[in-house]
Amino acid sequence: MEIGSHSDQSKSTFCLVDEDHTFANPVRFTLNQDPRVTFCGYSIPHPSDNRVNIRVQTTGDPAKEVLKDGCQELMHVCQHVRGTFDKSVNDFKRTKTNTEQNMDTK
Amino acid sequence: MEGVSYARMPRVKIRELKDDYAKFELRDTDASIANALRRVMIAEVPTIAIDLVEIEVNSSVLNDEFIAHRLGLIPLTSERAMSMRFSRDCDACDGDGQCEFCSVEFHLRVKCMTDQTLDVSSKDLYSSDHSVVPVDFSDPSNHESSDNRGIIIVKLRRGQELRLRAIARKGIGKDHAKWSPAATVTFMYEPEIHINEDLMETLTLEEKREWVDSSPTRVFEIDPVTQQCSLLNYGFGYALFSAFIGNAIVNSVHNSKLLSLSSSRIISRTNSKEWCLTFIVMVVDAEAYTYDDEVLKKAEAMGKPGLVEIIARQDSFIFTVESTGAIKASQLVLNAIEILKQKLDAVRLSEDTVEADDQFGELGAHMRGG
Repeated sequence: MEIGSHSDQSKSTFCLVDEDHTFANPVRFTLNQDPRVTFCGYSIPHPSDNRVNIRVQTTGDPAKEVLKDGCQELMHVCQHVRGTFDKSVNDFKRTKTNTEQNMDTK
Repeated sequence: MEGVSYARMPRVKIRELKDDYAKFELRDTDASIANALRRVMIAEVPTIAIDLVEIEVNSSVLNDEFIAHRLGLIPLTSERAMSMRFSRDCDACDGDGQCEFCSVEFHLRVKCMTDQTLDVSSKDLYSSDHSVVPVDFSDPSNHESSDNRGIIIVKLRRGQELRLRAIARKGIGKDHAKWSPAATVTFMYEPEIHINEDLMETLTLEEKREWVDSSPTRVFEIDPVTQQCSLLNYGFGYALFSAFIGNAIVNSVHNSKLLSLSSSRIISRTNSKEWCLTFIVMVVDAEAYTYDDEVLKKAEAMGKPGLVEIIARQDSFIFTVESTGAIKASQLVLNAIEILKQKLDAVRLSEDTVEADDQFGELGAHMRGG
């Protein structure tokens, strides 16, 4: 994973190696939710090469920082989904065993 | 640094959960995140599968590489996979990628001695680690016949023998489909169906039934809603009413003295009691809708284009996860989230060095307008 950036810190293109739509699309979506971002998009230069270019342009903050924050935000979303899913599974298993017990006692 | 989270936090609700099948709802999130989850589940959750086969004796009808290919595709219980190392990253073994930390050894020794054809199945594979074994597909209930267990690898005739040693390693679906733990992962947008009641009133019962039947899956159903109904059991009237289910309605009504049959209401009178039925079309299973537009086309063909409005909610998804048995379905989702987090971590942490290298000379040159 490498960076290609230039003189103006608020606009740069990041070239990630060994990544594809799986990673780039959610990051793009999360960055677009960030109010500091004026432009965010990604492209895959060639499908045979395992590379993806993410372009970030901000309102002044360095693009690298904004990208990092975007990843952080997405991590929080993932944590939350994980916690919610775990809780859901436990709730589901609990209600299932409850109904089974009720059926047994009836 | 953003202190306040500006992203919406998704909600999850489980509909069904079995060992190898999970159906759950994911709400308040975007399609890109749902898709990322799906892609990771299929291609990037690690499992263990046979990767190297050393054949000592093979006198069966299938050739060596054929059998090796089949062995690779056998799903192995992979709870250990997340904590194992990839063989290429393992520093404990002496270079051949076969140490106990990064691999599991299997062996298979079968010889057919009888005249009956011997089925060599995945049950005959013996593992060096009892937590990594070929998945058992038998039904937990006892009355399942014990013959149909295990995936058949090859069939042997009298005198044919198969002896081999196999090494199973950790891998991901991206490298080879044998390492994919998901049989199928799908998600659909949750449909929101609004029926235009006023327009629906103008249809006759026959037209309603035709329209409901035009949907390939059972999304809508006609329900007789009784108004001023008193379900009393006096002879003929009761028998008539209890037959008012489904299509029998129209036929049985003819038995009584029909006062009027208007577009959607049947008023019948028997034994000096009146009751009036209104047939309403209701949504019986919104999620059975497969986004084929058959009902919309039918409504247009009948001359009632605004009859129903179906919207796909862009932030609500219904996931269906089926696992091969290598990992439990719920564990598969959790592992997928874990892998997604690892990817994000990797990118975040590698940002510390800025390299405008020669490799990016092209990109740099292009950006500078060269």
